[in-house]
Amino acid sequence: MIVTQVPAQVPAHVPAYVRAVGQLRADFQATGARTQAMNIFETGGLRLRCPKVAQGCEGVLINSGGGVAGGDKCSYDFDVGPQAQVTFTTQSAEKIYRAQSNAAEVDVALRIGAHAAVEWLPQETILFSGARLNRRLDMDLEESSSLTMLESVIYGRMAMGETEVSGSFRDRWRIRRGRRLLFAEDMRLDGDMTGALDRPAVGDGARSNATFLHVAPDAEQRLEAIRASLTDAPCEWGASAWNGMALVRLISPSPEKMRAAIVSLLQSFRGRDAPRVWQ
Amino acid sequence: MTTTATTTLAMDTSILMTDLALAQRPSLVDTQTSAGSALPLHIWLSPAFPVGAFAYSHGLEAAVDHGDITNAATLQAWLDDLVRFGSLRSDALLVACAWRAAVAGDMAGVIEINDLALALAPSKERHLETAAQGNAFIAAAQASWPCDLLAELAGAADTIAYPVAVAVAAAAHAVPLAALLDAYLVAFAGNLVSAAVRLGPVGQTDGQKIIARLVPALREAAQFAATGTLDDLGSAALRSDIAAMRHETQYSRLFRS
Repeated sequence: MIVTQVPAQVPAHVPAYVRAVGQLRADFQATGARTQAMNIFETGGLRLRCPKVAQGCEGVLINSGGGVAGGDKCSYDFDVGPQAQVTFTTQSAEKIYRAQSNAAEVDVALRIGAHAAVEWLPQETILFSGARLNRRLDMDLEESSSLTMLESVIYGRMAMGETEVSGSFRDRWRIRRGRRLLFAEDMRLDGDMTGALDRPAVGDGARSNATFLHVAPDAEQRLEAIRASLTDAPCEWGASAWNGMALVRLISPSPEKMRAAIVSLLQSFRGRDAPRVWQ
Repeated sequence: MTTTATTTLAMDTSILMTDLALAQRPSLVDTQTSAGSALPLHIWLSPAFPVGAFAYSHGLEAAVDHGDITNAATLQAWLDDLVRFGSLRSDALLVACAWRAAVAGDMAGVIEINDLALALAPSKERHLETAAQGNAFIAAAQASWPCDLLAELAGAADTIAYPVAVAVAAAAHAVPLAALLDAYLVAFAGNLVSAAVRLGPVGQTDGQKIIARLVPALREAAQFAATGTLDDLGSAALRSDIAAMRHETQYSRLFRS
């Protein structure tokens, strides 16, 4: 159950100058079996916390502003050095509030060095009715690096009975390997979002969707195991693999059911539990 | 009579020469007033042009198998979604952007659009669908409609996405953009309806009714794309993508996608 305990919307007529501009930058370097975050730069309410883990590094992203309002700009910029291992996640689901006018901008840029392995596993993004979000993810990999990413979106606050959701959502992913564009995602929902999501080739009544992408030299060989782990998933899904990557789409009228499918997919795929915050 | 015939022939040749000059120097094509003919489109987008379009269902075979498409109404709704939220909308924008880049002689821009078109494929078979048809189109067009621009494109990229291949051929032969977009979208929709007819949920007459009813939406998508940019891209046809993914494990299959 995803419960949001924040006001329905930020106060009316928030002037542009008080909108948040958050930046989070860090470098990650391998030192033996561990990976360390260095040169951390945090401003505008974005924070990075790295709880102690046995191997690699867990980077928990925190938005101390408690959500993102129209006109806010959040940018995340990470350099993951050769051999480093980092799992990024978020402390909570990210709430995108009703926008007064301008869209919120969220930009993520990750550079992943040779033989480095990055997991990008934030919790859900919840679009409140009236939310306007432009998101861009730029991931730059080397031929030998690996990336496992999952982004999930919930349309409306179901717990508040928000079943008709309007707004706008633009999600652009550009995944490059060896400086060549490998995968692009260009998602767009404008205006009556739930009206679109009710359409048969769009969502057939879905109120949540997730995309899981794995890029690695052996990615295609993992497709059968991915499909097997989703056989009994309580939501609709499809999986495919080509060009050294595996892609899974999940979709459901029930965010809880989709989350359950994601947790079991991550558990099976990683050979260990999903990050603690996902439990 | 003989004199008249000769004059006509000479005029035709001069028109042909003008077209060739335009084709060989695409930057000289006036995109607003180009007097280029739409005729090649009837050839390139006909089922007889050897790109193998009949072999791809774009996930429709899986949607039929799954029970999403069972009759004319459900097929119509599915195709409407592809025009408004899915790959027909995206392809139209890719065609328009590639045509404009090619007309401007910007091959680097064409290659960038081609890379994006290939990267946007949401599954293995959808990637195959656009890449195999694109490469087959380039091979056939180079053989039967040779020109410098197609040769340059074939030399610059190993794999060419279908909308980019058609757009560059059209630019090279001075085919106007509006006619190109209309024809491309109608051919795409026609191919999907033809696949659905072969799969069984609709008959030929219903199929033609569906194409006729799609025309206003197709024209709207074409008009939008004519002035659209890559920034206007964006799809939401998630269940169409999932259908294409599911097709890979479908037990019995007529189509390659």
